[in-house]
Parts: sequence; C-alpha cells; structure tokens
Amino acid sequence: MASSIIWYLREFVRGEWISRFFTVKTPPLITPPHFRGFPILTGKECTHCLACMMICPTPNAIEVLRTGDVWNPVIYPGHCVRCGMCVEACPEDVLSTGVILETQKAEHTSYTATFHLTIDPVLCKRCGNCAVACPVNKEIDPYLGGTGTAFSDEVIMRISDGEMRVIHPEKCTGCKTCEKTCPNHAIRVARVVEGLQEAGE
Amino acid sequence: MKAVQDLKNAVRSRSIHVCYVNVGSCNGCDIEILACLAPRYDIEQYGIYVHNNPREADILLITGGFSPQWEDKLKMVWDKIPEPKAAIAIGNCPISGCVFNREGTYLDPPVSKHIPISAEVPGCPPRPTEILAAVLSLAPVIFKDYERKDE
Repeated sequence: MASSIIWYLREFVRGEWISRFFTVKTPPLITPPHFRGFPILTGKECTHCLACMMICPTPNAIEVLRTGDVWNPVIYPGHCVRCGMCVEACPEDVLSTGVILETQKAEHTSYTATFHLTIDPVLCKRCGNCAVACPVNKEIDPYLGGTGTAFSDEVIMRISDGEMRVIHPEKCTGCKTCEKTCPNHAIRVARVVEGLQEAGE
Repeated sequence: MKAVQDLKNAVRSRSIHVCYVNVGSCNGCDIEILACLAPRYDIEQYGIYVHNNPREADILLITGGFSPQWEDKLKMVWDKIPEPKAAIAIGNCPISGCVFNREGTYLDPPVSKHIPISAEVPGCPPRPTEILAAVLSLAPVIFKDYERKDE
C-alpha cells in the first residue's frame, strides 16, 4: 500500500510527466507552406486586365485598384474563400499563394475565358443602356448614340432595326457593366472558362 | 492579492467554455469546429470545452450569414451567456455573407449588427488552427482581472 503511494508520488514529480500533463501534446499549430492562404502580391507588374476579378467566385473579394501610377489587386479577407483561382487566372503572375504558381509552371496549365452575351427579347426594352455603358464599345466607337445605335460594325452590340443585336461577343472582357445598367435584367453575361494544359516536352 | 488574481487569471484562461451557434451556414465552418474536437487538434488539452449551452458558456462561436429566422433569437442566446463573455465570428459568412450575400437573398450579414463581435476569423472555412488561435488569444483578454472591472 505505502509503496504504491510512494510510487505514484515519485511518478507525479517527474519533470517529464508534469510537462506532458500541463502542456499540449498534439503537433504545433503551424500552417504548412503549401497550404493556400490569402493571395499575396509577388511584385510583378499588373496590366489591369481584370482576369482575377472575372474568375473570382465570391462577391467583393478582389478589386484591382490604382495607387499612384500602378494598378494592383487587393484581396479582402472577410470575403475571399482562398480558392486560388485569381492566382491561376492571372497571366502575369502578379498574385501568389501556396504552391499554385510552381505547379502551374511544372504542369503547363492555364485558363482562358470567353464570355457569352444573351439578351432576353421579352425583357429587353431596347433602351440601349448596355451598348452605351459598355467600356469596350466606347473605345471602338466614341460617337455611339445615346440610344445605343452605332455606325461602326466593330462594336460588341448595338441597336439596329429596333432590336438589340450582339455583333462581336468575342470582344467582351466580362466586366458586366451592361448587366448592372440594364433596368430589366434582360442581358446576361455568362463566363466560360477553359482550363488548358500544353503537352510537356 | 495580486498573486491570487494572477492565479485566477491563469486558471480561467485554461478553462474556456464554448458554445457554438449556426445562424444559417452551409455547415463547412461547423465541420471545422468539429475537427478541433478530434484528436489531431484536440481542443480539450488547451482547456477549451464545448457545451452548446449558452448558460454555461464563456465564448460564443457564430457561423453562418444570419438568416432572418435568427433576427430575435440570436440576441436571446447572447443574453443568456453569463459575464464575462465574448463572441467570435467563424468564417466569412458572419463577416460579409461570402458567396451567399447576393442580390435577392434574405441574409442580413454582418452578425456584428446584431450582437457585439470580439474577434473575426476569416476563411471559407477557416482552418481549425485559426479557430483555435482565435479562441486562445481572446480568452486571456476577456478573463483578465474580471472582478476588478466593476470597481
């Protein structure tokens, strides 16, 4: 009896036992470097192509803002889901997280995005707001009419013969300004993203 | 008295009782909280106990983007927690609504509009390590010298 108590007392005063009893036994709380965190800037020059904003699945998670003379993407942690799509979509490797850039380089993968414009003829009231608001249209034909009519055949969309017609959907950059300005939600911009992998050497 | 107070602080910051409430999340963050209980992270060795009873809790973990059914109920849960107490927003949803905060939904984020939030853990979902670090860093602050607050 007494020897057993003494054995226990000796066991409890061992330094190893005390430290094990009072401290944490699982591995330390560190994040491995290959885990995706919130994307960080690599310092390469952003060309303001907005590919990161276009591919982002969450609202308001990424914005490309200008500070001084340089454009740079800004990530908002309360919104970002850390999917890493912006890192993969960026053609200039401006952003980086985890091992995405290394994997992309090793496996020769890339994304290309095209945009499909659909206009619901029932909802569309032919106001021409979308054609006027479109920043690409504005660049191609600065003299675009306030009602959405244009003389140029090169614009993305214009009103002709009383109908809103999409002429060059391939020029769309996917900014969705038309969607926001449409009073009837008649125009929809669908993003079609293709993942490409080149044949290795 | 200072030694007694220090001892109290040390003991209390190693005995944190947690209650979690899902105010309309997709269950992703709840699963990450659950992962904290599992042997890989094992929060009980840090002295954190999950009760799911607000009357026993010190810290309320909130997941989800605040659906309209919680309009009156979350305040009730918050009022039941005895002082000292703190609420932690787990994940993007209580902070911003994340992917659910779109035009035409009934969500009402952020949760800080409804009850005071002491800490936010962004991520969709946040990692168990991040949840643990948030709880562990908040606990010593809220329990510190609690009796002396009303003097």
